Amino acid sequence: MGVLVLVGTRKGLFALESDDDRRDWELHGPFLTGWQVFHAVVDPRDRTIHAATNNEVYGATVHRSTDRGQTWTRAEELGLPEDTGLTLEKTWHVEPGREGEDGRLWLGAAPGVLFRTDDGGATWQPVDGIVRHETRDRWHPGAGGMCCHSIALDPDEPERMYVGISAAGVFRSEDGGETFEPANQGTAADFLPDPFPELGQCVHKLLLHPGRPERLWQQNHCGVYRSDDRGESWERLEGNGLPSGFGFPLALDHRDPDAAFVVPEESAENRVTPNGRLGVYRTTDGGSSWELLTDGLPQQAWGSVMREGFSFDRLESPGIYLGTQSGSLFVSPDTGETWLEAAAQLPPILSVEATEWS
Amino acid sequence: MVVVLLPSLLAAEAGGRNRFELDAPTVGDAVRALPVANLVLDERGELRRLVNVYVDGVDARDRGGLDAPLAGAETVRLVAAIAGG
Repeated sequence: MGVLVLVGTRKGLFALESDDDRRDWELHGPFLTGWQVFHAVVDPRDRTIHAATNNEVYGATVHRSTDRGQTWTRAEELGLPEDTGLTLEKTWHVEPGREGEDGRLWLGAAPGVLFRTDDGGATWQPVDGIVRHETRDRWHPGAGGMCCHSIALDPDEPERMYVGISAAGVFRSEDGGETFEPANQGTAADFLPDPFPELGQCVHKLLLHPGRPERLWQQNHCGVYRSDDRGESWERLEGNGLPSGFGFPLALDHRDPDAAFVVPEESAENRVTPNGRLGVYRTTDGGSSWELLTDGLPQQAWGSVMREGFSFDRLESPGIYLGTQSGSLFVSPDTGETWLEAAAQLPPILSVEATEWS
Repeated sequence: MVVVLLPSLLAAEAGGRNRFELDAPTVGDAVRALPVANLVLDERGELRRLVNVYVDGVDARDRGGLDAPLAGAETVRLVAAIAGG
């Protein structure tokens, strides 16, 4: 068993490969040259790589490869109905369906839209429950556009799923994606007149813990939050060691539902890692306290890590993967205790996804 | 018969092929016959804003855009406008 890390960048896709030790890395690529790869993921069901790809001239699409990136096929059908008045702006996140849902994947995109494929990515259908959501006129774009960047599937309840849209908030479906309800109670929107609205929150990343699926975590424009009731209510978690509630990436340890990792930025006004260094903050008590992990990370850095730039593998001793806008991929083979720079001088990194690979 | 020439990214998306010989009465017919039509055209079927099409060196937008006739034309060249970083 080894690990394959897909690194999406502003200028193509890279892949890094290592054995279980995760200390020596071999770099492959770039693939998909000319494309900005907002997110790339291996579908664990069939090992197909799917990439959300964007180009300033040729638009937004999704590519897939069944031969580890040697050849790529582009989606044949991907767009929004004319009567919605919406046009596809960017593709942001591909989420493979559950085991047994053959051919099904979900795609989050801008402007705040969700697609589903049931044929492995050849044709994508807009999901009306989000595309035609009755509250859409109260959604607003964040600095990166109105992006649907997070899609979380409940592994135990096939009808339950969540999406995160900036700046519309978190939405939950209990009917397989037919309809969605806002799930933002307790999350702040300090930039709106009502700081705790029903929706309009700027969620930056939303994750579900696979071992305890009623538990959700989110890194928001206005704080770090945890929900223990499927998003019905949220508890704000910063303080107690976190220097800032503002940030984008979030990672979870698949073994421990009380553990989470964030890389905060100084503030919305100054989007660099705080205190002039790159640090990862870890909680192991559900967010009650946070500790700074820096061993092997640069101690003179004004970095930033994008919302998709953080990943966890599922080996027995999990590794963590962190890609920076400065083009470095940092790896911790021991769950955050120590870090090494597996690649440097890549184009600005937009996404990181680690997959066990033999 | 008209020769359609693609820039490098579109050629890569067309399986490495940068030259197509087509029978097409209009620019739109020629573009829609390409395997990269959905990169050249948006979801409404319109020419993407930053894609330029030159018919024997003349900007097709000055001759009716996708409706520009190709009768007597020899070469259609697709060019990405200068953009990006």
